Amino acid sequence: MKKVLLLALALALALVFSVSFIFAGGAQESAADEDQFITIHWAQWAPADYLQKLSEGFTAETGIKVIVEQTPWETFVQKYNVEMIARSDAWDIIVGDSQDLGNMADSGHYVDLTKFFNDNGLKNKFTESSVAAYAEYPAKSGKYWGIPAEGDCLGWAYRKDLFEKPENAAAFKAKYGYKLDVPKNWDEMLDIAEFFHDPDNGFYGISIYGDNGYDSLVMFAEQMIWTYGGDLGDYATGQVLGILNTPESAAGLKRYKELFQFVPPAFNDAFFVKANDAFTAGIVPMTCNYYAFLPALANNATNPYADGTDYFACPPQKGADGIIRQYSALGGQGASVITYSKKKDLAMKWMEWFIRDDVQMEWARIGGYSCSKTVLDSDTFLNAAPYNPAFAESLNIMKDFWSHPDYGELMEIAARTLGNYIIRDNGTAEEALQACAEEWDAVINK
Amino acid sequence: MKKTMNNLSGPLNRQMSDTVFVRLCILPVIILLIVINIFPLFYSLILSFTEYSARKAFSPEFIGNANYRDLLTDPTVWVRFVTTAKYVVMSVAGEMILGFSIALLLQEKFRGRGVLQTLLVLPMTMSPVIVGLMWKLFMDPNWGMFNYLLGLGRIDWASNPDINLYAIVIADIWMWTPFVMLLSIAGLSAVPQSLYEAAEIDRASWWFKFTRITLPMVSPLLMIALIFRVMEAFKVFDVPMGISGTGSSAPPLIAMKLYKDTFLTWKTGYGSALGYIVLLIVIAITSIFVKYLNKAKQED
Amino acid sequence: MAEIRQYKGIKHYLVIIVLISITVIMMIPLFYIVNTSFRPWAEIKSYPPKLVYEPSIGSYIRVFTARTVYPSGTTPSDEELAAMTWYEQIVYKDTNEEVVRRGDFPKRYANSLLISITTTLLTVILGTIAAYGFSRFKVRGEGNLLFFILSTRMLPPVIVVIPVFLMYRTVGLNDSYIGLILLYTAFNVSFAVWVLKGFIDEIPREYEEAAMVDGYTRWETFRKVVLPQSVTGIAATAVFVFIFSWNEYAFAFLLTRNTAQTVPAWLPYQMGVLGYDWGAAAAGSVLFLIPAMILTILLRKHLVRGISFGAIRK
Repeated sequence: MKKVLLLALALALALVFSVSFIFAGGAQESAADEDQFITIHWAQWAPADYLQKLSEGFTAETGIKVIVEQTPWETFVQKYNVEMIARSDAWDIIVGDSQDLGNMADSGHYVDLTKFFNDNGLKNKFTESSVAAYAEYPAKSGKYWGIPAEGDCLGWAYRKDLFEKPENAAAFKAKYGYKLDVPKNWDEMLDIAEFFHDPDNGFYGISIYGDNGYDSLVMFAEQMIWTYGGDLGDYATGQVLGILNTPESAAGLKRYKELFQFVPPAFNDAFFVKANDAFTAGIVPMTCNYYAFLPALANNATNPYADGTDYFACPPQKGADGIIRQYSALGGQGASVITYSKKKDLAMKWMEWFIRDDVQMEWARIGGYSCSKTVLDSDTFLNAAPYNPAFAESLNIMKDFWSHPDYGELMEIAARTLGNYIIRDNGTAEEALQACAEEWDAVINK
Repeated sequence: MKKTMNNLSGPLNRQMSDTVFVRLCILPVIILLIVINIFPLFYSLILSFTEYSARKAFSPEFIGNANYRDLLTDPTVWVRFVTTAKYVVMSVAGEMILGFSIALLLQEKFRGRGVLQTLLVLPMTMSPVIVGLMWKLFMDPNWGMFNYLLGLGRIDWASNPDINLYAIVIADIWMWTPFVMLLSIAGLSAVPQSLYEAAEIDRASWWFKFTRITLPMVSPLLMIALIFRVMEAFKVFDVPMGISGTGSSAPPLIAMKLYKDTFLTWKTGYGSALGYIVLLIVIAITSIFVKYLNKAKQED
Repeated sequence: MAEIRQYKGIKHYLVIIVLISITVIMMIPLFYIVNTSFRPWAEIKSYPPKLVYEPSIGSYIRVFTARTVYPSGTTPSDEELAAMTWYEQIVYKDTNEEVVRRGDFPKRYANSLLISITTTLLTVILGTIAAYGFSRFKVRGEGNLLFFILSTRMLPPVIVVIPVFLMYRTVGLNDSYIGLILLYTAFNVSFAVWVLKGFIDEIPREYEEAAMVDGYTRWETFRKVVLPQSVTGIAATAVFVFIFSWNEYAFAFLLTRNTAQTVPAWLPYQMGVLGYDWGAAAAGSVLFLIPAMILTILLRKHLVRGISFGAIRK
């Protein structure tokens, strides 16, 4: 009995301890109740901390506090969707995924920002592709639902030190007949990957995404499809058949598959984490990744090869029709105001503040990826980080997946059917595209 | 043991009747289970006959047994059941054999036995999702130490679809062998020494003692360990998710599909139907085991 | 005779050696986690792994902080360096980052403690009482009820989580302590009833009969006679319930957002701008392991004797 008492006592003490712990934490938050504050919802990652830091400037100017609430990426989109169905006023602003814009706008969760957009001339302030991806829905309708917050797309890091090594340069020149350099098209990309691939010595040709759990494989595939002259479909009319299942799309997908022979082992589930890990482990000469994750590669402390690392944008490719195309798959998020927010006026104040030139400049300086043209053109920005010039170039070539209300299902279908060809090695590129096109058609035109 | 104490009620019980008392004992649990488990269960039973997505604004639309028909005629679902069965059999068998063997070895008396036993329990106290995550790093062919320690080449345990089921089995066995071990020790410790002494006098062989004394005495607890492990292994999704992700190179486990249908593509109605099929299978398997358990209990 | 003794001796030591080897093998993954938590960032991915390295507590600091990376080319000035706290200096040295704020780990940890401890207490209380009821009285349809109670444990979490989510949304329990505690209690009480009924079945009734003859009420008998004899069973149950709720992932992940989020729903997502922070994840795992480990070690003696499920007759 004594032991039970002791145990119960210990448990009770721990309980009291933890409760007081929580209330101590809660006390700080409840202090905010008396002041004005807004809550911004974003995924759990470092840029959200940057945004929190940036917003201190807003608080200093207006006295309105800003709380950036972060949710793990794996559940981020799902979670805010479910909250929105419940008309929750938990957040005032969502920095939401670009593909989800259509769903959110259609369901009435986002406030129509068309007037705000036009009054401030935002169409010309931000790059064209970022406005199309993070703000405008439906495509080319002139209706706006958000502002570009974190621009992002796929870019490349490579080991300049290895490319410039005399033995490598000479051997490459002898084998392929041209100079080993940043690939100028996707044929050269394949040559370089093949050249460096040396699995017996634990070194591999290239690092690209292979995971198809969510959108990673689809992102790389769509970029290849566009670059080779294919397309995912007509975003305005919803037509897929005859647009996705074409020889051009198949050519792009085949190149993806060819590149995929030269990835390190265990890349069937590689996404941004593994892409960076492989590069910093020194087992690949180049990696494709979202720009948001490139700061890790420029950092000496986390990448032993940082000094020899340089960056480039996705290269162009001359299609079968002779036209040169260049695309980069878009990621990133736009900031939108929630219909159910009780503090829309304060949220709008934050939006007005966020689009200011000086704030956009500061946003870029502390690590955010601004889409403002002024920022992207400025020398300060271009010189601020080694990957910034490549980013500025990429922002002009980026293109997004469907922003269809059912994009989640479209994504799952593409991941499964295309992944079947790329990573599972079943069937041909044409069959994969045919399967994808038919299933997409059934979802979009049901 | 099934005798009741009803003969004690009556004049001795001054405050309340036994019926009231026993109701007060059991009702809180039953109410809790009805509110938290049974109500949701009915809710999803209804949803399983509808087309519905919890992330969309439209309300459920009744479509009869279409979800069940789709599921049961989908060959990939059958592949998932077969894979899950393989997984359950391999990991539970591994855990039972290893756990029971370790427990037998631990019958040997020596100093530091308690320390070893406590250390051996530790894997069980870890969070499955963290176990999955850390085994993924551990088994990575490019920088993990698993292959290195075993002197293997760069075997891709986590994402090669031909072998990653085994990776998950290994992690599951590592994590849950301690559970079987604990229950086995509990069973072994209750075997009366007198039985062994009697057998010793008869010069019985080790095998005779093991099969005639040890096993029958321990079997009810082994059965319980088996029931719990089968139940848990059938629906496990956090360890596989950590090790091989949610992509199509991950092993096709049924719980993984359940998770994806419910939370990645939000086909709530369809997912509920699949959940029900899984539930019925688990109940069927468990009730067979429980029957054997009751038999085993009555025999001794 | 001497030969036999010698043979026994060899067997004895052989068993010990085998057991120690098994323990060492089982401990390797745990050791690997601890080892990873002390490795500097780039060392985690060195292959073949370096056996000798300079250990760093940087991972432990990173799991407690939110940071931004110094833009490349910029470094803090000497005065700024001098003004840094010790942990800021370690972060700067390890990963070239600047601490922005304290991280969410302590709050998640406190949530985990609060939710698991409350669940454990609640489950054990409800479970003991119900188990006593089932053990000592003839309950109509007892077999069915017990199977029903057990069957609630068979539910795949994802099948109930959507209805629970919708239900909680209606009553405002999403992302709340009470919501998770109720859910965990419901999911564990079946286990508790099973274990404890088995245990109480084994306690002889003579004491209770004597106590009731002495004029104790039913409740007093339960409290003063049955409870003290059930300590071992209760302790074992408590360990298992605590381990389950401490480590539970699916519900915590899907039903919480911020207020009530627990460690398992937060820790796997150590995604910084520098990529995935394996070191911080390992460090968090080590810290997260400790309470469950301590509880297991403290109550290890009860653990074995307490989980007999009534399947053993003495």
